[in-house]
Amino acid sequence: MAESLMDIKRRIASTKKTGQITHAMQMVSGAKLTQIEKKSNSYLLYEKRLQETMGHLVANKIISLYQNSGVEQSQDIMSLDHLLKKRPIKKTGYIIVTSDRGLVGSYNSTIIKATLDLLEKNHHGDKSKFTIIAVGGTGADFFKKRGCNIAYEYRGVEDVPQFETIKKLVKTCVELFDAGAFDQLYICHNHHVNSLTSTFTVDELLPISRDVADDVDYENLDNSNKYIIDPSVEVVLQKLVPQYVESLVFGSIMDAKTAEHAASMTAMRTATDNADDLISNLSLKYNRARQEQITTEITEIIGGASALE
Amino acid sequence: MDEKGIFQVNIVTPDGQVYSHHSRRLIARATDGDLGILANHLPIIATLQIAEVRSLRADSDNHEDAIAVNGGYLEFQDNVATIIADSAERARDIDLRRARYAKERAEQQIEKAKEVNDVDDRLRAEVALARAVNRINVVSKHR
Repeated sequence: MAESLMDIKRRIASTKKTGQITHAMQMVSGAKLTQIEKKSNSYLLYEKRLQETMGHLVANKIISLYQNSGVEQSQDIMSLDHLLKKRPIKKTGYIIVTSDRGLVGSYNSTIIKATLDLLEKNHHGDKSKFTIIAVGGTGADFFKKRGCNIAYEYRGVEDVPQFETIKKLVKTCVELFDAGAFDQLYICHNHHVNSLTSTFTVDELLPISRDVADDVDYENLDNSNKYIIDPSVEVVLQKLVPQYVESLVFGSIMDAKTAEHAASMTAMRTATDNADDLISNLSLKYNRARQEQITTEITEIIGGASALE
Repeated sequence: MDEKGIFQVNIVTPDGQVYSHHSRRLIARATDGDLGILANHLPIIATLQIAEVRSLRADSDNHEDAIAVNGGYLEFQDNVATIIADSAERARDIDLRRARYAKERAEQQIEKAKEVNDVDDRLRAEVALARAVNRINVVSKHR
């Protein structure tokens, strides 16, 4: 017997306590997950509407350009706003969304690993070619340690992100973009598929890609689709484009946070399950040891009794 | 829409749909002035000011809903009006005490920003003030 009965008993007690803690953490993450999922759903509606309007506006501009001067001119829409304009790419910015806390399983390592692969592929490890905007402490610390250029770091994203707080981050990004800190901006985050899986996703954020105009159905365009734009396309775009960028970033962070809660929940559930397994193994061991002790005692008593006869 | 002169009004914010009703007339404040919309209006996209939006309900003769909208814009197409804004509150949901507090705070911030000549801060505080004043106006008019 390597371990005494008392030792095993102590181990069972401590494992039980740890299991209780991880179980509680699982419940907390689960509650947060339902909360954020609810908010995500109402937010998706907003994002969809915004995207639709953006599409309509761009389509509208394209129609009038198309009718006036043919298809080549319709490319001109992209020069209307500084956030739409494509510039020669000297430097690329990456927003990397990680978690602030640990205990989220492979959530952070997935993002960091995939991002490193991406950086290697796009820039062959040349650190002067990219800048990082880190959302969440884990990513910030990691890339800082590696000596990457971090333009901005943002810690302390709420459990259920608020639109107002994300706005500041977006404002900084747009300012950096305008100042030429980078010529295009990607956002890397974990996309929440369901509570067990999430996938790494990279979206191009700035300059706003032509995707918004891709839905335009050139065949069915006629004047019935033509909008009155008040006061002018330029002014509306000036207001709409930042709102659109904000919504994209907020959507990604929301998605990432949902994935984080899900990952945390799964990790804690695994931990609880492991604790349960450990406890049942230890109980078995404990009972065996106890029985062995009883058997020894009985043999001793019988031995003692027979010696007296 | 089945009935004549009625159209749908949706107000959407990042926190979800704030308002969704049938309406007979919608009045919003666009950049250059008030904008009234009736059914079968031509498609329009207009940016809005921080102001009140009023919608005449289709299911009553003279009941008008008031919503405090913080900027954003309005899109109207196929008898559906959609207002997309950072935030919007119906008159009945506005917390008057909080709005008054926000107004005071914004005023203090403007003073402070003026002292140190911080243009960014002043502009931000002015927007906050406009929002608070808008909320207070909407409540006092409709409650």
